[in-house]
Amino acid sequence: MEAGMKKEEKIKIKIKNSLKVFFAVLAVLLAAMAFLSGAARGQERADEDGEKCLGCHGKREMTKKLREGRMTVARIDEKAFRASAHGFLSCRDCHEGLFPPGGRHPSSRFRSREQFEARYSRICRRCHPDRQLREKGVHNDVLEKESGGQTPVCTDCHSAHSMKPAPRGRILTAEEIYCMGCHSRPLSMTFKRDEAMPVDVDVREIKSSVHSSLGCSDCHYGFSSQEHPVRNFKTRRDYVIASSDNCRRCHFDKYAQNLESTHNIILSKGNLKAPVCSDCHGSHATARIAREKTVIARRCRGCHTAVYEKYARSVHGRALLEEGNLDVPACTDCHPAHNIKDPFTLSYRERTPEMCANCHGNKAIASRYGLSVDVVKTYLTDFHGVTLGFYRDQKGESYRPGRPIAVCTDCHGSHEIKGTLGPDAAVLKANLVRACARCHAGATANFPDAWLSHYGPSLRNAPLVFIVNLAYRIFIPVMLTGLFLQILLHIWRYAVNR
Amino acid sequence: MGTAKSFSVRRFSYRRIIEHWLYAAVFMALVITGLAQKFYFLDASKRLIMGLGGIDSVRLIHRLAGVLLIYLTAQNILAGLCGVMLKKWKPNMIIRKKDFTDAVEDLRYYFGATEAPASCGRYSYKQKFEYWGILTGAVLMMATGLVLWFPAFAASYLPGEVIPAAKALHSNHALLIFLIISVWHIYNSIFSPEVFPLDTSMITGYISRKRMVEEHPLELAEMEGAGESVHAGKNVPPFNPGSDETGMKTS
Repeated sequence: MEAGMKKEEKIKIKIKNSLKVFFAVLAVLLAAMAFLSGAARGQERADEDGEKCLGCHGKREMTKKLREGRMTVARIDEKAFRASAHGFLSCRDCHEGLFPPGGRHPSSRFRSREQFEARYSRICRRCHPDRQLREKGVHNDVLEKESGGQTPVCTDCHSAHSMKPAPRGRILTAEEIYCMGCHSRPLSMTFKRDEAMPVDVDVREIKSSVHSSLGCSDCHYGFSSQEHPVRNFKTRRDYVIASSDNCRRCHFDKYAQNLESTHNIILSKGNLKAPVCSDCHGSHATARIAREKTVIARRCRGCHTAVYEKYARSVHGRALLEEGNLDVPACTDCHPAHNIKDPFTLSYRERTPEMCANCHGNKAIASRYGLSVDVVKTYLTDFHGVTLGFYRDQKGESYRPGRPIAVCTDCHGSHEIKGTLGPDAAVLKANLVRACARCHAGATANFPDAWLSHYGPSLRNAPLVFIVNLAYRIFIPVMLTGLFLQILLHIWRYAVNR
Repeated sequence: MGTAKSFSVRRFSYRRIIEHWLYAAVFMALVITGLAQKFYFLDASKRLIMGLGGIDSVRLIHRLAGVLLIYLTAQNILAGLCGVMLKKWKPNMIIRKKDFTDAVEDLRYYFGATEAPASCGRYSYKQKFEYWGILTGAVLMMATGLVLWFPAFAASYLPGEVIPAAKALHSNHALLIFLIISVWHIYNSIFSPEVFPLDTSMITGYISRKRMVEEHPLELAEMEGAGESVHAGKNVPPFNPGSDETGMKTS
């Protein structure tokens, strides 16, 4: 008995499976037909439809009899329609039910005008999503009704065929209409080994981005109303990385710079977490982040969290993030975005004073905070700065520097940099001995005083050095004058005696 | 007999000649590598430093030359002290009151107030000024140089400010010595009308009797008074490179 039952069940399952396969094949075929027919429609379909439809519907006496017996006007004023906000659409974009595959005009299917309008209002909402409606308070009522299960009628307020463009609104280009026909609805893209990625697009995001004037296929090349190639990516990350190649077509300079960047280098070594264009710039909502230092810092934080936390507590980070001060450096001021270099190399280290001098050697900036621009000069003319200068010159030669020389960040720190005025000064000073001892083994508490803290020697600061310099400035000319006089007298006497 | 030496007096032994030229070589090495660092911003300095293999090797050369200078100076002081204490040499280099009066007298002579210049012994006040100037300068350069070479060590005994002060002293005094040597010493040994085109006494070890009469009359008188004839053409002083300072025995 049991075995018989099992047999029956097996047969049932077999039938079920074969039905599943049948429907799946059917679905694929239907989809392919739909796609082919969609592709067959040319770009001129708007005009074609317009001619065909308006042949009848442009006539004044055109009316339509509804099933309940009432008559309604079915005439379209072509002129008003072409001038309207929807003028670039073709008839079938909204009246898709009226274009059956046979090409025959369908007979009346509407009971009443109300039913007709309610049906078409749902079609409006394909292109005009909730987000757009919410922008204007007047639509609150509509949205409320909708969530209550009713169908609000758009044409109650907006006329259907002579819809005026909204003030400051933009007319979408035909390509966008085509693409947005699907991509304005929740869609997702699947990957072999990864979670799906939503591919629905908010047009307004693009329209408020720096790329507002671009069409879809400007970036998504290979895609058009005719072509929608199927692409297979293993993971979502693979897709994002491959897509960043799209930017190259216009931003070739940045692309070339980026090739040598540390991000690209680690990416090409196989670390897929390394950022590509869209990771920093976004994709559809690309903004000019160069003008927004805070935005930059936060973008970098995505991966460099620990560094960001340090920076946020530093004298620079606090000024930027708490006071909105744009004089201070954000990440990209020292790590220039596209040709970002590995900061652990000697050549990066050797450019440090240059980077700091961009602001600390700039009188206009430094004077705003009571800072001295001498900090750069006093470093560059002292032992470490002079040595650094030679090390940099020696780069091209065959000999390499013996060891790295102290630069700004060795005493001041980099991301965690503290102010030198106020309470932080003591911390800096206390850390100095340790900083010195990194190269000068056995440095004691006295040792940091050897560095005159970016001040030139004066009677108040480093009097010993000041006095020595002053003494020689007087003594050397006096001594030389004496010697020259002696020589002249000697020669003169010798000449006289002869 | 009758050679050129007959008219000459031995002034410097080979040891002193070798010492002088070693000192000169080390001095030049120090000046070149040192001034290039002091005037690092000049193109010539940059070319020189790059030519010598970069700043690190220039500093290494400077320090090695410094070590040689310490050695030469130390042996000079020791030799001087021993020579004087063992009574082999007379303490000719000691500065005496006569040196100051000589200087005044020479000035008076230059201005025509007296007929003859001051008569000097083995070393004139000018030579003493140079010798002591170089010796004290060398000691100062060594001390400050060592502070700069081992700053952490120095700062463990002295206040930190001593290090930049040592640097100021080192570089300023180096310039001073360099200028004194290149003006005064070069004038006196090359361009001075008495020796032009070159004072060869530091090469041959001999000085002409004529110059002894003019420049070191007291020493000459002492030598001749001691019974060793240096008259021209007679009794050539014994050639004795082993003895120090002069060819004559002072004991």
